Amino acid sequence: MEIKTEQDWKDIVHRCFRCGYCKFTHEFSDYNCPSYKKHLFETYSTGGRLWLIYGIISGEIPWSQGVANVIYACSTCGNCTENCRFEKFNDFLVDIIEAARAEAVANGFCPEKQKALIERIENQTMFNPYGELNSDNDDLKKEYNLPDEAEWVYFIGCTSNYRQKNLRDATLRFLKKTNIDFTLIDEHCCCSPVMRTGQINSVKDFINYNINQINKTGAKKIITSCAGCYRTLKKDWLKYGFDYGFQVFHTVELVKKLLDDGKIKFNSEYNKTVTYHDPCHLGRHMNLYEIPREVYKSIPGIDFKEMKRNRENAWCCGAGGGVKIGYPEWSLEISKERLDEAKLTGASVISSVCPFCRTNLTDANNKYNMGFEVIDLVEILDELELEISD
Amino acid sequence: MNKDDILTQLEDIVGKDFATNRSEDLYIYSQDPGASLPRKVDFVVMPSSTEEVQKIVRIANQERIPIVSMGGGLTLSGLIIPVKGGIILDMKRMNRIIEINQFSQYALIEAGVTTGQILSHLNENYPHLQPPIPDAPPSATVAGNTLIHGSGYLSQRYGGHGSMINGLEVVLANGEVCKLGSCALSDYWFDRGPIPDFIGLFTSAFGTMGVITKLSVQLFPKPKMRDIIFGLLNDPKDIPDLLLKITATGYAEDILLGMQDKPEWMKGYVFVMTYITGDSEEDIDRQSKVLKRIYRKTNARFMNAPEKMKNLYLDKPIFAAGAADFRKGGGFEYVGAFMPLEKIPDAYEKGAEVARKYGISPTLGSRLIGGVHTIVMFFSYSFNRANALDMENARSALHETNQLALDLGGIPWKAELEGQKLILNQIDPSYTKLMKTIRTALDPNGIMNPGNWEVD
Repeated sequence: MEIKTEQDWKDIVHRCFRCGYCKFTHEFSDYNCPSYKKHLFETYSTGGRLWLIYGIISGEIPWSQGVANVIYACSTCGNCTENCRFEKFNDFLVDIIEAARAEAVANGFCPEKQKALIERIENQTMFNPYGELNSDNDDLKKEYNLPDEAEWVYFIGCTSNYRQKNLRDATLRFLKKTNIDFTLIDEHCCCSPVMRTGQINSVKDFINYNINQINKTGAKKIITSCAGCYRTLKKDWLKYGFDYGFQVFHTVELVKKLLDDGKIKFNSEYNKTVTYHDPCHLGRHMNLYEIPREVYKSIPGIDFKEMKRNRENAWCCGAGGGVKIGYPEWSLEISKERLDEAKLTGASVISSVCPFCRTNLTDANNKYNMGFEVIDLVEILDELELEISD
Repeated sequence: MNKDDILTQLEDIVGKDFATNRSEDLYIYSQDPGASLPRKVDFVVMPSSTEEVQKIVRIANQERIPIVSMGGGLTLSGLIIPVKGGIILDMKRMNRIIEINQFSQYALIEAGVTTGQILSHLNENYPHLQPPIPDAPPSATVAGNTLIHGSGYLSQRYGGHGSMINGLEVVLANGEVCKLGSCALSDYWFDRGPIPDFIGLFTSAFGTMGVITKLSVQLFPKPKMRDIIFGLLNDPKDIPDLLLKITATGYAEDILLGMQDKPEWMKGYVFVMTYITGDSEEDIDRQSKVLKRIYRKTNARFMNAPEKMKNLYLDKPIFAAGAADFRKGGGFEYVGAFMPLEKIPDAYEKGAEVARKYGISPTLGSRLIGGVHTIVMFFSYSFNRANALDMENARSALHETNQLALDLGGIPWKAELEGQKLILNQIDPSYTKLMKTIRTALDPNGIMNPGNWEVD
């Protein structure tokens, strides 16, 4: 079942029974919903949120800043979808929360801080949520000698292009080293931040623009090093009705394929203890858990350790769903809990495959002096000596 | 004191983040997933210690503000929705597991510890021990389950979960703390007696006698292996004979019965699930053969339980909320009634009639508590809470079922307000007189969940 229209989610939201499975880890050892764990009032469980949404739909309560705040105080990490036991309902919990946020926006209750996302993205000199001048990526194309047309497009994503340039550059170097026929486009935001916060009026224009840019290159494959862009391109763009004609891959999928095909081999070691943080956008939202692990484990010298909560059971980094911009302090508290958990593994490196997770984990690492090296998988690969075969 | 002043005082006790009278919070706490209508709440407070509970209770007593303590909020019968407004004490911050005693086999815990939490804690740290787990989601608290006289896993072999309480720490309406059970005079929370047993005053009292802050609950050895022997009965009249024979073997850890129209192959039958335990496959096989023979001799058809069903029921906690989703409408309530064994066939037959009368597909079940001494019977009504008529139907069916249970010689369990009234109408007047005397002595200002067990 797809939630296709505004009416669909309104027809099912009352099915939540508030049984509370959504709050927990799989084994019930702890609360695994960041919002509930922070606030503890039932209001802040997914059940509470859905009951408030139903209260609005049924006219029992009016929209208010308080209600909107509850609906926005959620990182949309998907722990609820993972643990809710009601089949053909659980898949839509995050969709319902995002749809309710769009209703909040339509009714004038979008929280102030989150409004900055749409203001910046719609700014004709920016097109990104960070408020930076738009990079058309021409300089990068020249620097890396990239063609106008290619088999692949590397969709960099705003976070990598404006905040995690080291990750971007490591990805570019990896793609060049491995002789991937790729290029860049003058990309605008994929719209993940505004979709997550319900500010969706211009989303279709942005998707349309990006698809046209991609089509101009003739590329049939898109690669991105951002878990958020990956989910948005691969899932949400389709949900918004765009039936594009290319395939979407995360970098880690390409790396795995190159390893499996024997096209790359690691000729040096990475002698560190590493733990992997599952990005919610890649894991719970896209069901991609094992490929990153297989790549990490294939690196010579690496001592790979799992955190207690991993895969479907992972604790969120706290950045997503508009939480980092809306509730910056809390966002870092969530990340700190992840770092505390990582500490227990004995790892010195916490690694992920999402620039947004990398940003938040780094910020928390610095704020709380946790002493980790926070690094993306591609950056680890960038440190290794690669042997390339045709 | 006005409401702002009260909120300020509550915030001073628990911290600003843990006291609220925000309308969105009060809306959520004014209702539960059952069929009760919403009722007004004035404040929700989350204490983190017994001392904080004492301070809150003293303010409430001084200002004559009702107090309702809440665990997981999953009784479904509205017991944690205030009848006369006031403060909800949400106990979830009191979630410390203080001690696991492996010798006397009990857990000393705070009142906010969930059944999921204790289960997970034991699985990880004491895998040879198991706690009593109700047929409820993991957010149900151990205190909530035991204090409403709950039942569930291990009830057949070891008795009702309420009887597994070894000791309580209670904050009385005047703010004083009282310890009940062996802990009143010993460092060990290992037994209720042998001293006058006041713990019973606080079970099934629905918070009308005081606020429970700590408890000791019995733990039990976990068997190496467990299996389910599944059978179908054509006629509910054979239930008593079958259960007498199964319990006489001493093999059953738990026994569950049920009748439902879905899936289709179950329609018209009463299913029987006997949980057996053992140390080896041979042990399980031996018991299994005996039970299969008993099934055959008492007109029950043994069948291999579908793997999916087996896994579902062997999983703890059982996903009881599945029954709540029959109507895909987010609403569910049931009459649980403690019944004598000989009345179970009638309960199935007449319970199904009530359900059909209100256009609800019959979903009935029962569980043994302490052998055949008590059977708790479940008459379940799933409803669409977005449909006012559907909810009204459920309420009517619940009310009629409460009366049915009483007419059959049973007693509605954790009854909602209307059910409590039916019980009080039928109960011996000397019982209500004694109840009132005790309650007035303990809570002269009537602040402890007033409206429940209300005696004129």
